[in-house]
Amino acid sequence: MPDIVRRLLRTPQGVIGLALVLLVLTLAILGPLAAPHDPDALSPLRRYRPPGGDFLFGTDQLGRDILSRLLVGARATVLLALLATFLGTMAGAVIGTASAFLGGRVDEAVMRTVDALMAMPSLLLALLIVSVLGRGSENAVLAIAIAFTPGMARITRSVALAVRRQDYVNAAIARGEGSFYIVTREMLPNVVAPIVVEMSIRVAFAIMLFATLSFLGLGAQPPASEWGLMVSEARRFMHLSPWMIVWPAAAIAFVAIGFNLLGDGLRDALNPRT
Amino acid sequence: MTPVLEVSGYTLDYATRQGAMRALEDVSLSVGRGEVVGVVGESGSGKTSLAWAVMRHLPGNAIERAGALRLSGTDLRALPPRELARLRGRRIAMVFQDPSTSLNPTLTLGRQITEVLERHRGLSAGEAEAEAASMFAHVGLQDPRGLMRRYPHEASGGEKQRVVIAIAFACRPDCIIFDEPTTALDVMTARQILELFRTLQAETGVASLYISHDLAIVSGIAARVAVIHRGRIVEQGPTRKVLGAPAEDYTRDLLRAVPRPEERLTHTMPEAGAPLVSARDLTVRYGRASLFSGLLGRRSTEVVGAAEVTLAVQPGEILGIVGESGSGKSTLARALTGLASFDGRLNFAGRSVTGASDMGRDYRRDVQIVFQHPDASLNPRQRVREILSRPLRLYGDAKRRNAEAAVAALLEAVSLPPDFADRFPHQLSGGEKQRVAIARAFAPRPKLVICDEVTSSLDVSVQAAVIRLLARLQRETGAAFLFITHDINLVRQIAHRIAVMHRGRLVETITVEALHARGPAHDYTARLMAAVPRLTIGDSPHVA
Repeated sequence: MPDIVRRLLRTPQGVIGLALVLLVLTLAILGPLAAPHDPDALSPLRRYRPPGGDFLFGTDQLGRDILSRLLVGARATVLLALLATFLGTMAGAVIGTASAFLGGRVDEAVMRTVDALMAMPSLLLALLIVSVLGRGSENAVLAIAIAFTPGMARITRSVALAVRRQDYVNAAIARGEGSFYIVTREMLPNVVAPIVVEMSIRVAFAIMLFATLSFLGLGAQPPASEWGLMVSEARRFMHLSPWMIVWPAAAIAFVAIGFNLLGDGLRDALNPRT
Repeated sequence: MTPVLEVSGYTLDYATRQGAMRALEDVSLSVGRGEVVGVVGESGSGKTSLAWAVMRHLPGNAIERAGALRLSGTDLRALPPRELARLRGRRIAMVFQDPSTSLNPTLTLGRQITEVLERHRGLSAGEAEAEAASMFAHVGLQDPRGLMRRYPHEASGGEKQRVVIAIAFACRPDCIIFDEPTTALDVMTARQILELFRTLQAETGVASLYISHDLAIVSGIAARVAVIHRGRIVEQGPTRKVLGAPAEDYTRDLLRAVPRPEERLTHTMPEAGAPLVSARDLTVRYGRASLFSGLLGRRSTEVVGAAEVTLAVQPGEILGIVGESGSGKSTLARALTGLASFDGRLNFAGRSVTGASDMGRDYRRDVQIVFQHPDASLNPRQRVREILSRPLRLYGDAKRRNAEAAVAALLEAVSLPPDFADRFPHQLSGGEKQRVAIARAFAPRPKLVICDEVTSSLDVSVQAAVIRLLARLQRETGAAFLFITHDINLVRQIAHRIAVMHRGRLVETITVEALHARGPAHDYTARLMAAVPRLTIGDSPHVA
């Protein structure tokens, strides 16, 4: 592991990506402690404040401090996006590896189902799932996870097919190991590198997807300070105070760029040939 | 007379993260016109580094410390890259180990040689075409014109290596470096390539540096030989003297490690009575009919891996299976371990087995397999402890005994220190990895162990040690072996009986005693035995 970190730090995108992601994760964990104001405290006298003075990023239509809301909302936005990506990736990885291992008709059936699901844009799929399950953060996480699963399954399968031909898998079959052991212990650890890379890039998508769902009113519900929701609410007051929409949008972009760069860096670091 | 190729006092380091690593130290050798000099060494000895140093194509982290490289008096180290590019291919050429990777897959075989002719000899396209065709015919390729239009994947390994040799000889260079040109080929094909090499070498008088790990091959073609060990030339001189009366311990060890069919390593006798395994008309077909072509009523193209093989193994017997690649020997191993489905009848310890799904827990425990490449057969993400404790947990009495002690005992049985349990496979050498794979196979106390080319990816000296280990384990455990190999000399040392396979069929089964006394009954067995190069110290070629 330390070797991978060293290789990661050799590329500029790796250094910047890692720094941004560490910063975001720190804010997500310590954010509520660092918030200068109560994110839900209303003050009707100080609405639509521009940045400066007591309120570094200004205030919104109810006089709430935008900086505090962003810091508190980081946890909901970033950590839930990470959770959604993790769930989707794991499900996809297990399905893809199992499909490659079992082969034949099972493989055919799984991959054609994946094709069918991938024919739908992931936002549409997520919207469909949320509208079936009902609105709310937990369901949005689930929807994003399910929307990510087919793509991850396809990527994992292509790597797992190469691993499937290795003799250590044959040795395990010849030894009489069960399919579950072979998939989880023999094959999965050997397909993990491309999965990690894909995962870090997908976190950025998940944040945007999550923000989109909240923006459409299907994810987090008011008065939560989820970033997508903040953008959605600020839209109506754009002509009164453009800052209200700029800050959460910038925060989303910032995190997305961070994870994307980290993913690029990891792709190079985990590939020994570069 | 100045030698064509002269290396003197050459020292080479590679810069690694752990500091400079010495690859070659004070290497001096020379190759005269018309001479073949063999460089013999094990993997990691620096013999390939020497080849690349002469070709002036070293990796970026190479540091040349001292010494000179001269080609007919030209100082190669002093030449600028442009001059070198003109020199390579025209005055010095190289033949690589694996013809399937040394030819460009996107160019036709003809283009790959005409390019050399046009560039270095300044021939026009038409002249180059004609010259290439005559070169192809000269290296013994059938239908040269037709072959020139084909791509590398449309030619066999032997044909490709002939093409590579034709390219190397195309510009009549002063010196050619051969880097294990027959290692990736079949025994039969290798023999033909060696014959071709001898003919062309005698004809053109090119100075040849022949790099190999195989003492038997070198003893048959080289007039002088240099033994290289850990970057140093430990001994060099006329082949007859170096291999016949070696002065250095290392050379003696290498020679001792070459398998000699006369020397028996097993002294056990198989048990009489009912056979442990018996197969009748065992047939393996590859290629699955897809649902789609099934719907269209099309018949899928099947490949028969093994056809109607009938054989039996007694308890405690070592049955050697020999044959070229593609002869179906590994297919047989895959069928017996349930990795390939088969037709026909299989009986194991008195029980009939109809297919992979019918192989129960007992069968899986009693039949174990050791694969050819330990790199591929050990999971790179598992420690040796996990690799070894897995079969114990599945079949052993690990619940009662301490699993840690069981792993240590297994490691000890294959002569490895107990602290290897904490290592990952990539921290072990090739021989050590294969020992771990062997320990894993013996962990559940099997009745039959299938060894699929277990020694062919190992160095000669390591190979000898692994074979001795297997012979000892056989003696101690009484397990029967199915010993699959392409090396008939090796199998004659260890097996009780030998089964010869050719194109998926069993052509002959013969006891080793009968083979010694009467020789092979089948013509193919005789050809196979003749193809294996033997250590010929008495009649080495004369010094030119």
